[in-house]
Amino acid sequence: MPNTADTSPTSGTGPSSAGVKDLPGCEVDGLTFGYGPTRAVRDVSFRVPEGRFLTLLGPSGCGKTTLLKLIGGYLTPAAGRVRLLGRDVTGWPPERRNAGTVFQSYALFPHLSARRNVSFGLEVRGMPYRTCLDRADALLDRAGLTPAERDRKPAALSGGQQQRVALARALVIKPDVLLLDEPFANLDRLLREQLRGAILQLQPEAGVTTVMVTHDPEEALASSDLIGVMHAGRLLQVGPPAEVYDRPRTPFVARALGDANLIDGAALNRTGTVMVRPERLVIGPDAIFCRWGWTASVRGRAYLGAVTRVELEHPGRPPLRAVVRGADLAAASRLDVGIPEAAVWTIPEAYPT
Amino acid sequence: MTRTTPYLLASPAGLLVAGLLLGPLVLLVRVSLYEPADGRGFFTPGTWTLDNFVAVADPAGLRLLGFTAAFGAAVAAASVGVGYPLALFVRSLGPTAKRIAVAAVILPKLASALVVMFGLQQLLSAAGPVSRALVALGVVPEPVTLSRSVFAALLGEVYLVLPYAVLVLLIQLGRIDPAWEAAARGLGAGRWQAFRRVTLPLTVPGLVLAGQLGLMWGVGAFLGPMLLANPADQTLAVDVHRQAFDRQNWPRAAAGAVVLTLSAAGLGAAFAVAARRLGGGR
Repeated sequence: MPNTADTSPTSGTGPSSAGVKDLPGCEVDGLTFGYGPTRAVRDVSFRVPEGRFLTLLGPSGCGKTTLLKLIGGYLTPAAGRVRLLGRDVTGWPPERRNAGTVFQSYALFPHLSARRNVSFGLEVRGMPYRTCLDRADALLDRAGLTPAERDRKPAALSGGQQQRVALARALVIKPDVLLLDEPFANLDRLLREQLRGAILQLQPEAGVTTVMVTHDPEEALASSDLIGVMHAGRLLQVGPPAEVYDRPRTPFVARALGDANLIDGAALNRTGTVMVRPERLVIGPDAIFCRWGWTASVRGRAYLGAVTRVELEHPGRPPLRAVVRGADLAAASRLDVGIPEAAVWTIPEAYPT
Repeated sequence: MTRTTPYLLASPAGLLVAGLLLGPLVLLVRVSLYEPADGRGFFTPGTWTLDNFVAVADPAGLRLLGFTAAFGAAVAAASVGVGYPLALFVRSLGPTAKRIAVAAVILPKLASALVVMFGLQQLLSAAGPVSRALVALGVVPEPVTLSRSVFAALLGEVYLVLPYAVLVLLIQLGRIDPAWEAAARGLGAGRWQAFRRVTLPLTVPGLVLAGQLGLMWGVGAFLGPMLLANPADQTLAVDVHRQAFDRQNWPRAAAGAVVLTLSAAGLGAAFAVAARRLGGGR
């Protein structure tokens, strides 16, 4: 194994040393899974400070779920280290890691009631049965399940209730790290927005370090302290949401977090590809105050409720997507469009696109 | 689908059951109520008596019944006890290895049961490889005959019923999402705890069905005890055969067969009920 130099000074001391301010909650170093060209995870490194929320964003098959399983100990890496609260847990089985996982399909035990699902993690720790049930009850009460609902088997609960039970089950063991695998896959929009709130509501006093995996950029931006974008097993970029959104390192990252105009830099006197987010374009009379501007014809429009997305075209100018507010602008067949200098970001790397 | 369609779908099987099971069963009950003929034919026509059933329930007959029930229970316990670990092993294999393993489990069914029994007879005889190996290892001082024993009969019957038990258990295990076991491990359960708290309870329906199969198969066991056990240790099925063909006492044989049918059905049902009570219906 590479990386034999173990830099973790707190190895073996456990969460008691959590008083240190900058302690990494979850740290992954050169993590690789699989061999040869089929490697699902390639040399991934990141560090989530304790109590922070990292979202890994990427299309299906990019290796994000595999990465999560490597952190949880459900898979064994070919190379690299995993550290939780400073302890090197590489090679440890899942039951020793104290990582709470919410699986994509929740994986609630079908033969146990909601209450017993939550108490499971305490029961296997040898805690008195009565205490296990009391703690499970307390947590499920906070999760908004009535006593009758807590006695039901998972199949008799709604999707939102199942998610809360799964979350409570993962949090009741006071995990060192919380791992969420596409926890919204089966939920409607309202429930998605409540998740972060539910985690905050259910977790113990201090915030729990969380790593979430999703393919939905809105989710990622809304709930995260850090966002990582994955592509073909690699972590392309990781950083605070605004940084990754405004200053993507590759065209793929630019597109992964939302709509982006990717323009040949030559049109704006730059080299390489530049990115302008549609909402940063200036539409209407103010366009003349911008560094670049022209009058474009509207080729297509999509009404999105709060805003209308328009596709703009002009001979000799790059095609642009923009968003406009108000009925007048949305209905116009020609629009003045301006690109402010601050809205232009030169993408440093050309690949992956 | 009209309302009659389900009945139409069931009719071929229904006809088979009616013609080949219910019809003969009615005849069997009638024959069991004749007086024996004592060598002048198979039974005495036109007579009615319950003496044959009284004979089945005499001390020797009760011993026979007891042995039969115990043998059935042993077959059930052994086929589940051997089949469950085997099914767990097969489940843990990769897709290709799993296909090969399932084929290997079914393979013995291609050989006639008689061939299996004679093979076991040879294997366990005094001159057979097992006996010779035991001598060579110094376990026994001289060659032993293992083939004429209840153990050999049990082995033979388990050999016959095991493939069914393993298939039933594999189907049940196939319904268990590996994510449930992973979730248990992630919550702090070791391999054994995850098995005991998740995998095992979720396999209970399959264990009940496999046990029921083994029990009913073992209660009706004929070939194994007939060919591999001592004449003194026999099941009811072998006795029915003896009464009918050695003693030509058809009414007594029919009475034994009726009791055998009823006890197999009764034991199977009792087992299912008991298992449901114990397992809480899951």
